[in-house]
Amino acid sequence: MATNCYVTFPTIFYAIRAESLLKQKDFTFKMVPVPRSISSSCGTALRCACPDLSKIRQYLADHQTEMEGLYQLEEDGFKMPIVKELQSDELQ
Amino acid sequence: MNCNKDSVNHELNLYFDNSATSWPKPEAVYRAAELQMRQMCGNPGRSGHTRMLEADRLIYRTREALAALFKVDDPSRIIFALNATDALNIALKGFLKTGDHVIFTALEHNSVLRPLGTMRRNGLITTTMLPCSLEGYPDLEFLENAYQPQTSLLVINHASNVIGTVAPLRKMIESAHKKGVKVLVDAAQTAGTIDIDIADLDIDLLAFTGHKSLLGPTGTGGLYVKVGIDLKPLREGGTGSHSEIDLHPESMPERLEAGTLNSAGLAGLLEGINFIRETGLDQIREHETALRRSLREQLMEMRQITVYGPEEAAECAGSLSFTIRDTDCGEIGYILENNFGILCRTGLHCAPLAHQAFGTFPGGTIRLSPGFFTKAGDIQFLINAIREIVALTEKG
Repeated sequence: MATNCYVTFPTIFYAIRAESLLKQKDFTFKMVPVPRSISSSCGTALRCACPDLSKIRQYLADHQTEMEGLYQLEEDGFKMPIVKELQSDELQ
Repeated sequence: MNCNKDSVNHELNLYFDNSATSWPKPEAVYRAAELQMRQMCGNPGRSGHTRMLEADRLIYRTREALAALFKVDDPSRIIFALNATDALNIALKGFLKTGDHVIFTALEHNSVLRPLGTMRRNGLITTTMLPCSLEGYPDLEFLENAYQPQTSLLVINHASNVIGTVAPLRKMIESAHKKGVKVLVDAAQTAGTIDIDIADLDIDLLAFTGHKSLLGPTGTGGLYVKVGIDLKPLREGGTGSHSEIDLHPESMPERLEAGTLNSAGLAGLLEGINFIRETGLDQIREHETALRRSLREQLMEMRQITVYGPEEAAECAGSLSFTIRDTDCGEIGYILENNFGILCRTGLHCAPLAHQAFGTFPGGTIRLSPGFFTKAGDIQFLINAIREIVALTEKG
């Protein structure tokens, strides 16, 4: 079992913008195909450790990057993950 | 007219048609377009694998480079199109509503005149043409009296593709904005050769092409859309996002882009913009202005020749037009190519109203457009060729 957090974007433009902005800073993250269990929006999502999500979301919001959703996934191999959608105000 | 074909060097093929498309391109442009096709598979924005992401990153960088060139803060406001014509169609058909009145200058290209003409004939809009002087300057006094309550848009050709006159953009934009009218700038002839500060000039919409002074491949271009302007999309379709609903996304830039982007072309365009940035826009402008000055001065020495447009080269960009007394410009163009290996363009250059303003309709002109890679020696060869042709016309 592993817990990961995901950010989805309305379009690929904002996914790449997020990657470009975060790469210039010390953030740890990975761009991955959007898990089908969470969204059918833009095909690329950002995956990060959940304790980093709040800072990443804030940084992107401060740099004109539209986001669509924030998710926490309990992942266990190929099994369907347990998905929890997060609201920005519940992030620490 | 007889010319001595023995004196011809067909290998030279000197290129004076950069206003149509720039040639040659910087070497990196060819290489990047080829590399993109060979190595970057995947449809940008769609598949989610790493090669697709590489294509997405390249498209993002091209958008960022254009935003930096035009001094635009938010790259999402630059959308890609096939060329300036495509971008102008997206702007005009996406912006105008039934009952709107549009003012356009006499220097506009058919890429503006035809969409407007169709909308006018269909009873959707009314239009007013802003006349221009013999030198190609729009009549600003006429403009002040041309606004109507329904006027929503002023269309300005930044530089004439016939005689190169650069429009007084700042004055015209200020005038339009005072009346609450938005401005669409056609920068087909100027993007990449004149510094365009979109933020400072407060431009609402700007159409550009990638294959002229931006030195990229054909099939590239785009449109800048100011925040607050929502264009109705001309095309809808796949974007790789929200695939579950039959509604085109509202988020820019995808709102105005549908279908697979020309990633190979955009890879080349990015290198064209990089070349301009590394060389310096000032240096490019200085070189082209010097060539134009020399060309104009030497053409003016021939009494049989009429040169059109402003005397001062610094007030122009791109094209220079001339005619030779009592000759057909098409024939002169044919001789320039077949007897001297010089490539130029003759005729109306898709701008019939401009020729009416200059008194060169319907015969047109011979248009010469040197580019950054044109050398002073090329100008000399061209002038010598024209001198020979003029001498022959004298003999009859």
